[in-house]
Amino acid sequence: MSRNDSRSNSGEHRGEGAARRREPGTSHATSEQGVSSRATGPGRLLIAVYGVFALAATARAAFQITTKFSEAPVAYLLSAVAAVVYVVATFSLARPGVRAFRVSLVAVSVEFVGVLTVGLLSVLDAEAFPHDTVWSGFGRGYGFVPLVLPILGFLWLRRNRPSRT
Amino acid sequence: MDPFLLTGTVVCVLSAVLCVGAGVLRRPPNDITILSVAAVELFLLVYTVAAAVRQLTGEPVLGEAWEFWGYLVTALLVPVGACWWALLERTRWSNFVLAAAGLTVFVMLFRMEQIWDGVAGL
Repeated sequence: MSRNDSRSNSGEHRGEGAARRREPGTSHATSEQGVSSRATGPGRLLIAVYGVFALAATARAAFQITTKFSEAPVAYLLSAVAAVVYVVATFSLARPGVRAFRVSLVAVSVEFVGVLTVGLLSVLDAEAFPHDTVWSGFGRGYGFVPLVLPILGFLWLRRNRPSRT
Repeated sequence: MDPFLLTGTVVCVLSAVLCVGAGVLRRPPNDITILSVAAVELFLLVYTVAAAVRQLTGEPVLGEAWEFWGYLVTALLVPVGACWWALLERTRWSNFVLAAAGLTVFVMLFRMEQIWDGVAGL
């Protein structure tokens, strides 16, 4: 049901047709009902941006941990946590199903708490956080996208929550 | 400003503007937006060849060379990945995905320039 609800006023009939063609109506008749709509419309942009951050955070964490881990183990481990969160969020948002929805919700929540906590700590106690992570300064080094992304994620998940079981 | 970075910025920004424009106008991706992303990829290919030539002819990367090439190889994949993801479902939003590719490549070019000039690492 929510599959139709979320789209009825968007006027993107072309996209709807394409999505249907891509997933011949076999699987989402039962458990995945109305859930794969997370990877359509604006969701595709959201997932794309999450994908970019997954890539950037993973590369950055890998670089920091392999070349200079001993300099700031805590900061670089946080980088790795951020990377994992972005990777999980990207894939769970793209995947249909109630379980993927729950995983997305957890990932986006961890991301939100992470960016707020690390952001706050890096501002209040710059001494303790001299080494940058994606979340330092509320994601300042990345145009504050890390701060906005989880909020958009929450809104998108709320709009596309699985239909009542 | 380095002419390569300047050219790349123009190509990326132009592509992003075209794609955002098409998205705002509620168009699905069309030849113009897809070709603009292809132009970004073409620029990156030229940039790759030029970077190889420059490095082989005594204009070394001042930062970490492997980091530079890591960025470049990843950047080459971005427009391809964006097109794949955007064209699986052709809606106005696909154009915003294509726009994101241009912006991402622009940021990566900027970082590559910093690495080349030996400005602080990550």
